[in-house]
Amino acid sequence: MNLQYALPSHIRTAMGIPESEEIWYAVPFDLTNQGVFTQNSYVAVTKKTLYVAEEGNLFYRIALSDLRDVRCETLVNNGILCVEEKKTDGWKKIVRFSMKHLSRFAFLAKGIRLLMKENFRRVISVEYEKTCPICGRALPGTRVCPHCEGNRHLTIARFAHLCQGYKKQFLIVTLMMGLASVTALAGPEVQKRFIDETLRSGHGNLTQVAEFVIVMAILTALTILIRYYRNLWSANLGAGISKDVRAMLYHKIQILSLSFIQERRPGDLMNRINRDTGMIRRFMEEAFGNIFYYIMLLCGAVIMMWRISWKLTLVSVVFLPLALALSVAWRKNIHRRFHMQYQKLDENNSALQDVLSGMRVVKSFGKEWDESQKFQKKTGEFAEIQEKNEVFWASFYPLLTFLMGMGIYFVTWLGGLETLQSKMTVGELMQFITCATMMYGPLGWMTHLPRMIVQMLTSLERIYDVLDEQPKIQDDKDPVDRVIEGKVEFKKVGFGYKSYLPVLDEINLSVKPGEMIGIVGASGTGKSTLINLLMHLYEVDEGEILIDGININRYRLSCYHSQIGVVLQETFLFSDTILNNLRFARPEASEEEIIRAAKMANAHDFICKMPNGYNTYVGERGYNLSGGERQRIAIARAILTNPRILILDEATASLDTESEFLIQTALNRLTEGRTTFAIAHRLSTLKDADRLIVIDEHHIAEMGSHEQLMQQKGIYYQLVMAQLQMQNLERPQEMAQ
Amino acid sequence: MQEPFQLEQMEKETKEMLKLRYLTKENCTFQRTPGGFVSLTVGDEHYDRIQVFCTFPFTDRYRCVSIRESTEKAKEIGIIQDLNQDLDAETVAMIQEQISLRYFTPVITKIKSVKEEYGFAYFDVETDHGPCRFAIHMSGSAVVHLSETRVLFLDLDENRFEIPDLTALSTKEQKKISVFL
Repeated sequence: MNLQYALPSHIRTAMGIPESEEIWYAVPFDLTNQGVFTQNSYVAVTKKTLYVAEEGNLFYRIALSDLRDVRCETLVNNGILCVEEKKTDGWKKIVRFSMKHLSRFAFLAKGIRLLMKENFRRVISVEYEKTCPICGRALPGTRVCPHCEGNRHLTIARFAHLCQGYKKQFLIVTLMMGLASVTALAGPEVQKRFIDETLRSGHGNLTQVAEFVIVMAILTALTILIRYYRNLWSANLGAGISKDVRAMLYHKIQILSLSFIQERRPGDLMNRINRDTGMIRRFMEEAFGNIFYYIMLLCGAVIMMWRISWKLTLVSVVFLPLALALSVAWRKNIHRRFHMQYQKLDENNSALQDVLSGMRVVKSFGKEWDESQKFQKKTGEFAEIQEKNEVFWASFYPLLTFLMGMGIYFVTWLGGLETLQSKMTVGELMQFITCATMMYGPLGWMTHLPRMIVQMLTSLERIYDVLDEQPKIQDDKDPVDRVIEGKVEFKKVGFGYKSYLPVLDEINLSVKPGEMIGIVGASGTGKSTLINLLMHLYEVDEGEILIDGININRYRLSCYHSQIGVVLQETFLFSDTILNNLRFARPEASEEEIIRAAKMANAHDFICKMPNGYNTYVGERGYNLSGGERQRIAIARAILTNPRILILDEATASLDTESEFLIQTALNRLTEGRTTFAIAHRLSTLKDADRLIVIDEHHIAEMGSHEQLMQQKGIYYQLVMAQLQMQNLERPQEMAQ
Repeated sequence: MQEPFQLEQMEKETKEMLKLRYLTKENCTFQRTPGGFVSLTVGDEHYDRIQVFCTFPFTDRYRCVSIRESTEKAKEIGIIQDLNQDLDAETVAMIQEQISLRYFTPVITKIKSVKEEYGFAYFDVETDHGPCRFAIHMSGSAVVHLSETRVLFLDLDENRFEIPDLTALSTKEQKKISVFL
């Protein structure tokens, strides 16, 4: 997202920015303070001053040193930039903008705040624009606009390079297309000769008729055979290329940082792997396999027609644009009508799904009749549109076919006249008509071609957009491979998932090897973020994390991750056997090691009791494990790697008392002698922690042992007391039950 | 250092959350701030800046208007039951200004053109906030039906555009957007 627009010279003049001042940020906005859409309105920030020009005129100017604070406020479907001046009290609204610029101004506010602190680091936004700032077209999830800045030639060249491994398939498909058009054009030629030289010559015989039948049969057989091979190799080509691209995309998405994946909706990446690669396959199968065939057929047909009668050929060609226009108009109309029908169907389906999944609520409120009335209305609307469309299709399609064939009727009439005047033979007339039909035939398909090409190019661009992305976390040039002792230091660490929104700020923490740290704090304060940084899933924005005194970035990623064990609240097990789920962490682990790990995790007993033991299939299609069982498998998985640093994120939350006891004992075994970071809402589970840290408002608010923090009577004390009170409230109820 | 934990305090706060305090011209004073916002004095409480939230922004914008603190938590100060009845004309204008600042939903008054291109539709329209162009997704939930004749268009940036009465559009305009309805 651009934060450094080129400021038009008249705006710069209106703002009165001296030539000597470098513009640090310049962004446009689209609403006046009264909420009227505007152009020619910009905010510019230099190292010293903030300028606002509304509709080309200076609206506000202030020295950054005269500002106390600045912030971007999100309202409903718009936003404002507010400042707090030193000389006056209260916030002042200086810029208003639509949602188009909301993210941009959030970043800008962060940038201005940094400049106010004389920190001249430029804030950069990695977020994508939704629409092209030049042409206004929607961007298909890519960084640059394919129409304005994208280099389609380059995309095609890169695609051609990718296809190099499929030269043989390309050659065969092209050859098959050539053969197909030759056999298609040979048919009318043979027919012409048969009519003129056998039927109309007056000396035709049975042998000639038999010869004709045999030749036609051979041609038909050839056509079928060629079509079969053409389809086979087209499918082979499309499937092969899309498989390669899919594999490349999948690999790239695996190595890209989590931040890249989280910036996108999961569906978006799924679409790129499935739909966009599918689009390439479809194009290779449906379009590429036919393009040359139809072009060759069209040219061949025109040449043959020209040979018979150039005048008639010209007449036929005159009708081409008319037929083309009809075809385009028809397609648009049909598209519009059926789009409406599909939309109504979608609405019907979602209404149905809504009611079916909420059936318990519907029944418990006795609203069955109301709901069925509502659905009846919706389904009635759908039926109405469907009926209209079917009637339209049934009545207009024959008419369209008639209109599209007008050229042929006209040619037949003129050709008939010429044949009667003996300027043309009957065979030639038949050949001409067949060729003209061949020429008009692919017109409908041809009108789809530009759309298919653009869709395929757009898909390619979306794919290359991912392939070109560089992972933010990469192995160092000279990575460190070593066994970690477990000393962890956070030095002035600052981080935010969006660089303008800090989650952690100035985190300083030093942990000795083998120490257990309990992390406490309200939801959304950054506890999980802290361990995400420790897991090296994200790069810190400020400061550094040292592991045994070496910067975390210097470790080889695979080496570092192999020495970290993680047990999360939501345990993720793959749809596979328990054995393979355990071995995921260490594929070479022996059966004995696996059993030992499972025993330590209190998981061995329940696994043994299952009919298929360690070979039990878990996940979507397999055995359903309870939350506690899944958790114990996750702990065994963590034990198996013998991690030096252990991370427990709410590992015992939402479990029943018995499971919690089993897991707690398993965890105690696991944490022994290992540097452990444990997050827990239930503070009793952190009783064994050597030190506790309380995170509040992006900082470490309190740090110390349980006793020290209780004496401080701060946030931790409040939390402990609140939980005790809750237990006291719950206890009489439990006893009553 | 924080106060020792008090259950009574927490319970008091919870009870306070259940209370409905109505703001009327008799018990409160709203005033414009130099920064373009509104301040409020109610009893002996004073708020330098307040936020105005519509509780029924689509069905009855000026009914039960919730007045809240301008902090991140936006704690409710009170409710104006009927904006046009309960306050004087000047205050009503003041609150309405704040409502139109908070809720930005331009009303489409004229549809100049709608162009479809590869899964997106590009609108060129006149609104009560001036002329504007925006793009919507052809698929998905870009069109929200608030009633039979009232629709909202959600553009790619998540701006909202409203057509309050479809029947008020010309036949030509209606045809342009029929595919979305």
